Amino acid sequence: MPSSGSPRRQRLSLAAVILGAAIVPFGLRAVNAVTRPPGAEPSYIPSVESPRVRGPFDREAVEALREAANDVILIGDSMAGTRIHPGHLSRLMGGRGAAALFHPGSGPAYWYLTFKNLVVNAGLHPRTAVFFFRDENLTDTLFRVYPSALDRVARQREPVLDELLAARANGRYFRVHRILTRLYGHDQARAWLEPLIVRAPVAWSATRRARKRLLERINNEVFTLDALRPMAAADMASASGEALDFRRNLPTSVLPEILRLSHSSGIRVAFVRVQRRPGPDGPPPQSAALRAYVGALRAYLEENGALFHDDWGDPDQPLSIYEDGDHIAREYRLHCTELFFRKNPEVFR
Amino acid sequence: MIFHSLDFAIFFVLVVPLYWTLPHRGQNLLLLAASAVFYGWIHPWLLSLVATVALVTYASGLGMEIWPSRRKTFLWFGVFVTFGVLGAFKYFGFFAENVAAALSLAGLRVPRPALSLVLPAGISFYTFQAVTYPIDVYFGRMRARRSLVDVAAFVSFFPSLLAGPIMRASTLLPQIEGVRRFSAAAARDATLLLAWGLFKKLVIADNVGVIANKVFALREPEFHVLWAGVFAFAVQIYADFSSYADIARAVARWLGIDLVRNFDHPYLAASPAEFWQRWHISLSTWFRDYVFLPVAYRISGRLTAEKRFGLDAATRAYAGGIMVTMLAAGLWHGAGWNYVLWGGYHGVLLALARLLAPRRGRRRRARRWLRPARAAGMFALTAIGWLFFRETDGSMILRDLALSPFQASALGRQTGAYLFFLAGLYSIPLWIDSLWSKLGGPSLTAAMAREDARLDGRLVAAQALLAGTLVAGALTLHATTSLDFIYFRF
Repeated sequence: MPSSGSPRRQRLSLAAVILGAAIVPFGLRAVNAVTRPPGAEPSYIPSVESPRVRGPFDREAVEALREAANDVILIGDSMAGTRIHPGHLSRLMGGRGAAALFHPGSGPAYWYLTFKNLVVNAGLHPRTAVFFFRDENLTDTLFRVYPSALDRVARQREPVLDELLAARANGRYFRVHRILTRLYGHDQARAWLEPLIVRAPVAWSATRRARKRLLERINNEVFTLDALRPMAAADMASASGEALDFRRNLPTSVLPEILRLSHSSGIRVAFVRVQRRPGPDGPPPQSAALRAYVGALRAYLEENGALFHDDWGDPDQPLSIYEDGDHIAREYRLHCTELFFRKNPEVFR
Repeated sequence: MIFHSLDFAIFFVLVVPLYWTLPHRGQNLLLLAASAVFYGWIHPWLLSLVATVALVTYASGLGMEIWPSRRKTFLWFGVFVTFGVLGAFKYFGFFAENVAAALSLAGLRVPRPALSLVLPAGISFYTFQAVTYPIDVYFGRMRARRSLVDVAAFVSFFPSLLAGPIMRASTLLPQIEGVRRFSAAAARDATLLLAWGLFKKLVIADNVGVIANKVFALREPEFHVLWAGVFAFAVQIYADFSSYADIARAVARWLGIDLVRNFDHPYLAASPAEFWQRWHISLSTWFRDYVFLPVAYRISGRLTAEKRFGLDAATRAYAGGIMVTMLAAGLWHGAGWNYVLWGGYHGVLLALARLLAPRRGRRRRARRWLRPARAAGMFALTAIGWLFFRETDGSMILRDLALSPFQASALGRQTGAYLFFLAGLYSIPLWIDSLWSKLGGPSLTAAMAREDARLDGRLVAAQALLAGTLVAGALTLHATTSLDFIYFRF
């Protein structure tokens, strides 16, 4: 063992290093203060987000919806976006309007806020709101909690959603994570540092647009689900374990709240589970756990007066109509819209 | 229990203060209990395996001492049972599959084994560590121990239990038996080492690991994409494995025990032999002492002095010994032919380097400035080896090796360049660390090795600043996908 310095000085030096490890990260707050644009305010979901500058609520969308007075409101992500053409659906409905509130890369938190703030609380009275989702997405509240999307549909405070997110993120890990985040503000530093690193290797590209385009092409053309080995694609496409325990996830999901809003507003809700990318010989494989999950979801929704439709195994949606991953090719969008109209008569009754 | 988990943080904070309040025997009992909690946290049944190995090695050593005339019997008892546990859990499925496949080639239909055993975490490490005890007792390098607690604490020592370093009984047992005193200097350096290990794991290994995983999930990666993925894997496996070793050493230092260094900047190596002196040092020295030297000695005893194929007897013995050793080392990493191929590839590299060495000896001395180029060349050769290591599908390896850079699309080239630079960017701290060491910068984490070190205020300030910066970096840039330590699966 080294005998450098007195024991007391050695202990002080140990304390100095431990303190250094604890104190230096506070420097991130100083960095944040420099890099943070003015106008940061507490988040509407403070349990999982630090103060930041938020984007504006989309009032124009509310006005447009109010003016159109649609019969059916469609809510979902790119799965719905590549399958449903709202104009064509309106024509199929005989002129009664269908409005699409799709946002690519959105999740259940976004869908819930859209329904609550753009439809129910805006005083609209469509007959039906239809939610499109994949597998266990509906009950995975933390799936795609992206501020850039949520800002457009969130009010100043969203206590119900915040409580659900807090409950979902209430493990020991999340509690420690929250404490550290509040102490050091490293999530704010990450918000600007990580994109900087991810974009740095394409810095040679002449314009910001060219850089963005290249990153999009790498994601959408090189690393598509199609390009993966079958096992890897299956692993990536399928949820497992606790995510497929419907009863466990229901209390911390937005589903009961959507149904409560539906009952209080008199707007009927329908849920469509879109089919993931099928294999060359048939529909995509489903684990026993996923089948059990879907069964429990269907039973719960039907018990609570909601409509449910499952696209899985639809022979009219073969592999040939798919483009990348679970997206449908553009030329089959009208075909899928017609399928949706034909196979969900209750929605349009 | 894994090091980068909240469970381990709580475990560590509870165990260390309690440990230093206990007398020596109590410390060893606590070490044993803590190791049981640490390993049993994964699954309690795993404890039965490590307990079996500890009991067998203890009994084998004691038997040799009590019945000296049956020393060899007790040695083989210890070695066979310990390696039997390893063989049964790690290689049974592989062996049965291959026998069935071979018989089916001969037209015999053999049902595939219905029994599939789960590979217990860390089994390759603690069995290799445990088996050094009966071997060292047999060869008189150490005497057999009477204390089962000490031997069991040595076999199951939790900091190195899951992924090494593989400690020799003659190195670790005396430390467990000896009275330990808390050293604030050692703990101070260990704190920095801990922060560095966590940073390497959470920021470097896990971020570049995502790149490697994505590339190796592709069905038909193009040339540039594939080799960017291989580069990312080379960074990942070094950062991942060395981070575990660093954290293990840091935790052990907090307990007053010094573990051997497992990595010495392996990507600075300029030759295959140097690479193996720097990579997974505890395993390579284990194989050197317990496999290569005995095998090469046996081979050389059977060779005539005359030259064959233009090679003298010593070179032929070396080549034979190194091929056996490296094939075994490959198989140690996993029950798969790709690991055997990886080991064989390194065996060939080592043998070729030995063959070529005498011819270029003088030239090498004259051209030291060529060392960076040679290190880059060695890195490229190592990367080819990592392709064999990472790619478990033989047909994919053949396909990958046949890829041409000239047939790649523009998007493939751009993607490869992007991934290469992204992995490079994340790994900058790793290269700085290696260059710092190469340029002779003072080590900030090696007080235990500096017997005459004086307390230097500037050094402590640098350590405090660096530890804080590493923690800030780990908090800010940790990968959102936390990957398991790669070597857990071995």
